[in-house]
Amino acid sequence: MPAKVGPVSWKLLAAEFNDGMVAFGFLDWLWVGVYLFIMVGAGVLFYRLGRRGESDFFLAGRGLPWWLPAASVYATHTATDTPMWVSGVIYRHGLAGLWYSFFAAWCAISAFVSTRIFRRSLAYTQAEWNTVRFSGLGAELLRGWMSGWQVFMSMFILGWVGIAMGKVCQYVFGWPLWAGLVLFSSICAVYVMAAGYWGVIMADFLQGVIAFAVILLVSLWGVVAAGGPSAIVSRLAAMGEDGRLNPFAFSGWFTGDFPIAWFATMLFIALVGGFGMGTSIDWYVEAQRIQSARTVRDASYSIWWGTALVLTRNSVWAVAILGFYVLYPNIRHTAEYEMAWFRIGFDFLPAGMVGFFFAGIIAIHLSTISAILNLGAMYLTRDLYLHYWKQTASERELVWVGRIATVLLLVGSFFYGLMMEEITSWLIFALWIMAAGVWLPNILQVVWWRFNAWGYLASWIANLGLSWLVVWVLPSFGVLPELPDYQQFWVLMVLGALIYLPVTLLTKPDDMDHLIRYYVMSRPIGWWGPVRREAERRGLLRPVPAA
Amino acid sequence: MTWIRREWTPADADEWTKEDWYAIVVSPLAYILLMLGVALSLLLLPVGFLVLGLGILTTLLMHWIIDPKLKVVSGEYEKKQREYLEALERAARWKEDRGE
Repeated sequence: MPAKVGPVSWKLLAAEFNDGMVAFGFLDWLWVGVYLFIMVGAGVLFYRLGRRGESDFFLAGRGLPWWLPAASVYATHTATDTPMWVSGVIYRHGLAGLWYSFFAAWCAISAFVSTRIFRRSLAYTQAEWNTVRFSGLGAELLRGWMSGWQVFMSMFILGWVGIAMGKVCQYVFGWPLWAGLVLFSSICAVYVMAAGYWGVIMADFLQGVIAFAVILLVSLWGVVAAGGPSAIVSRLAAMGEDGRLNPFAFSGWFTGDFPIAWFATMLFIALVGGFGMGTSIDWYVEAQRIQSARTVRDASYSIWWGTALVLTRNSVWAVAILGFYVLYPNIRHTAEYEMAWFRIGFDFLPAGMVGFFFAGIIAIHLSTISAILNLGAMYLTRDLYLHYWKQTASERELVWVGRIATVLLLVGSFFYGLMMEEITSWLIFALWIMAAGVWLPNILQVVWWRFNAWGYLASWIANLGLSWLVVWVLPSFGVLPELPDYQQFWVLMVLGALIYLPVTLLTKPDDMDHLIRYYVMSRPIGWWGPVRREAERRGLLRPVPAA
Repeated sequence: MTWIRREWTPADADEWTKEDWYAIVVSPLAYILLMLGVALSLLLLPVGFLVLGLGILTTLLMHWIIDPKLKVVSGEYEKKQREYLEALERAARWKEDRGE
């Protein structure tokens, strides 16, 4: 989910600090120091495992029990901006705001469908999966495009999340903007370079535990500060705001700020998206966790339980934000109430615990940075260097390329972070394009044997143009009304299909030998009849017994 | 014919069956109930404890349905994994793969 950090919100936070409401004592610095020592220590500790080869540096040797990647899923998806996003929607909508964070529930179905299929493909990355699933020139074009896009996106996310930390440190300690970005991302890069994914996953586990403890502690502290659970309920009733306790407080079928049509579209996108790969931007990070699990079963449970933690964490936050609403009900500025959870921590925690809270913020920050650093380095190493540059590279060489790629991403993220204000708006638009127009093709590539690389490429290209038209150009000329985002989704889905479906059907299917190899290995769900029958005819699979 | 099959052969477990579809339906329900149940329970609302309890039961039911099948799918697949990994490396390094 895109971050919601705006300059106004950080100024508000700064006002708190500059008024002297937050002062760091010895105990606070001790929390931060011990935490950073443990994180870098994880890199040193697992250095020997990470350097064994490409598989260890990027997938921890594909040998992790389910709870380790699950902790990583949870930790990675708890970023510096996440509490702001959740605070914003809960303050605005009450418990109904929980549904805005329910997009993560694509994992409900994915855990038992696309996760299983992807784990069986053994592809390191989604880009590599393209060449496992599709064949010929189209597949190679897709792999090149996908890996380049993911390297770019990794730098973008690193810059985005990194600059948020830069702003926190600027206002907390008065550091220049670049200092917090460079310092904490660089500390993180030390253990990512040393131990690769082993360092990421072990640190993520620790960070996940610390982050959950901090979230629980600060949120419960906020609930107590508001008078306790019963007081929150009764005060909301007294304010005539008890509708905020109803998660289904719809504003109408199509009207208001929480219409049923939006809710239905959200459920559809989130849940049905689990049949596909890449229907959520989070898929690319999860794909690495899926492949690092030691079995198909471990992969399924890691995704399911990691996301269950994410959703229940949002619930804990939500109750704290309701408490904040009871205390401060008349905040008008979005940027101000998005800071609700941070304000609970800094305003209400006792002396000595502020450092613990700040260590929790660092944990939240580093878990995202480390995951994206290693993920981007994997695309650079596996898909670009090994596949397109030097196919004879040794395992030792690939580990070193992974480390150099980590540095490149780190340096690139500094540039992106510092120019973020200028590029943010159109990059959010680019993310929206990814989500809306290629949602259905991301499913079709999994469930329909006839969907080919040319159709998938066409969907990406078509979507670039259609998104501009539907979102900006046609409304500005009055040809199309300005549609709510959920209606834009449906329009883009239908218009895109009018282009990529003919392209698919007018170009040749993928090579049958290639499809059979993929089918026998991955056993995808959906419409694979001709491939299945050919595999049976060749004696590779037995016919399905009659029910 | 049982509602939920508990014993699987590797070949049968590799097929998509009604147990997968049960898990596909029950899993989102579990997420919804757990998410809402935790929030409403923290507010000490009686309905919250009921919803949370249902969420835990739904989660257990989902595992009970799908776990025997997943175990067999995993066990069988891991036997073939080394061979598949070798094919993947050949493809990544542009070496011709003549195996099926």
